[in-house]
Parts: sequence; C-alpha cells; structure tokens
Amino acid sequence: MSEDFQIEIFNFFRKKNIDNFIGVPDSTLKQFISIGLEQKKILITTREEEALGIATGMTLSGSSSLVFMQNAGFANSISTITSLIQLYSIPIIFLIGWRGYLPNDAPEHTKIGKIQPELLKLIGLRSKIITKKNWERNCVWALKQIQQKKPCALVIRRLSNE
Amino acid sequence: MNRKEAIQIISSTIGKEIIVSANGFISRDLFEINDNENNFYMIGSMGLASSIGLGIALKKPKKRVYVFDGDGNILMNLGSLVTVGFLKPGNLIHFILDNNSHESTGGQPTVSNVIQIEKIAKVSGYKIYKVKEKSELKKILTEIEKVSGPILIHIRIGKSHASSKRVTHNPIYIKNRFMRSIN
Repeated sequence: MSEDFQIEIFNFFRKKNIDNFIGVPDSTLKQFISIGLEQKKILITTREEEALGIATGMTLSGSSSLVFMQNAGFANSISTITSLIQLYSIPIIFLIGWRGYLPNDAPEHTKIGKIQPELLKLIGLRSKIITKKNWERNCVWALKQIQQKKPCALVIRRLSNE
Repeated sequence: MNRKEAIQIISSTIGKEIIVSANGFISRDLFEINDNENNFYMIGSMGLASSIGLGIALKKPKKRVYVFDGDGNILMNLGSLVTVGFLKPGNLIHFILDNNSHESTGGQPTVSNVIQIEKIAKVSGYKIYKVKEKSELKKILTEIEKVSGPILIHIRIGKSHASSKRVTHNPIYIKNRFMRSIN
C-alpha cells in the first residue's frame, strides 16, 4: 500500500504529456507498471537498451518518453546511455527501481545496489531519489530537465526485502 | 556487390526518405554517399538502429522508415526482431547488409554464414526478401513500394576493405537537423 504514490506519478506524467512508457519490468516499480498496463500505455521490451533505442526514436519524432527499469538493467545500459542518450542529448526520463539499497537484499543485487548512486554520478546522469513525500517536486524537476533537452533519472528505493 | 555499392543503390532508389544507419562503416558510407537531413547516423550504441527506427516508425505512420543495419549489429539486438514483429509497423523497412563479419573492427567473423538471420525475422513476423545481385536489389526496391511492412531485406554482400571517412557532423547537430526535417 505504501507504494500507491507510483500510481500518482504515472497519472502525473500522463497529464504532463509524456506519451510513451517503455521498459523492462521491475518488482520495485510494480504499481507504476500495473497502472500503465491497465491504461494500455506500457511497452515492454526484451532489454533495457532496446527500450532506450525505441524511446530515442519516439523522442526524435517529437513524442516524449519515459523509460523504466531495474538498476540491474541500468547497469546493463551504461554504454547506450553514454554513446546514445547523452552523446545526442536525447531528453528521456529514466525511472529506476533501486534493488540492493538495503544491505540484506538478494545477493545478486548487493554489489550494483551499493554503487548505484556513484554509477549515476560517474556517468553524469542527473538524478533524484523519489519518495511518497517528495515525488511531485522531483517529477516537476524531471519535466524541467527534459524541456531543457537533458536526460535525467528518478530513482525509487526498494525498502523491503519481501 | 559490396557494402558501399548496396548503400549507393538503395539511397539513390528510395530518394530522400528517413534513414537510420547503424554505427561503423554503414553510417560512414551513407554519410559519404548521400549526406542529408533525413539521415540519423547512429555512431555509437551498437545494435540499436532497428530499435530507433521502430520508435520513429510507430510515431510517423505516414512516412516510411528505412533502417540500414549490419549482421554484427542485429546479432547484438536480436530481441528487436520480435518486438518489431509483435508491433507490426507497416512502414518499417529493415535492410541487413550481411558480410558475415564485423568489418568495422577488422573483419572478424559473425555466425551469419550458418544461422540465417532472415529466418529468425520471418518467424517473428517480417516479410522477407533475399538479395545477392545489384539488379535484384533494384528490382526488389521497386517491388516493395506498395508492400506493407515490416519488411526485412537481407543483402548478401562481399567483404570490402574500402572504408569511407568518419561522420564529421557533431551528434547534436545530426539530431537537431534530423528532428527539424522529419517533424
């Protein structure tokens, strides 16, 4: 229940003319993806990089896009982010579910999870952690970034190990 | 037929249409042969030309979108074939220039001499054409004018060591020029 704000985030971006929601499912982002699927506005791809490619094509066509993924998929996509999204300055909003935020998360997530904020910083992708309390302010920030033709990331932490 | 000849024939036959070209020698050839504002030269992000083309095709349904891809490139993003097949953009035309090698990095082999990429595309829902000779390529380009996609044209090309100059445009310039032209 505590993740209900994800539904509000989806509806907020829809209202603000984000047309495309593309990505690979992540359990941390389940509510966001579920509401998008209900509204038939979600495109699920085979890999995160594929999602970034499709979103780039749509953005080049004048249609704004958000790409969602788990931080494991973000790590997969680093070369695509630096050699496509940042190189051409493609204004896309990333929504990233952060596994491995809690130190006792599943073992496959701990290593990348631990360095997630540093990874974003190292490649220079601006980001904000969003919560139930601050999501609106940070979503407005993200819209401002893409209006200025800059990609950016919003990160949702995984706060339980269920 | 070599890569440059194939690109020459396609770009002169289709005229000024939207083209997304894969990184490496393919973008370099297109840049040298027919640089214009409708070309999106993907200079990094190997494998993603077909995905970028798909995104454009879905948003510009009244325009035809041509992807110039290589065997090494599509093998890095085979998932793209099933996503295209699932979404069925009628305006997407996907060329695979297949020389059975990663020519841009020194001609190392790919598996495309044994595994037929066009067959994977076919079961994914593409309409398939196979070409070896220049005359066949010209004929098929005319033939597909009224065919609804997604279409994959597999072009078997020979290895060629002749490489074109690098794309000298700044990536931001490539993007802005392309967006002004297609929107």
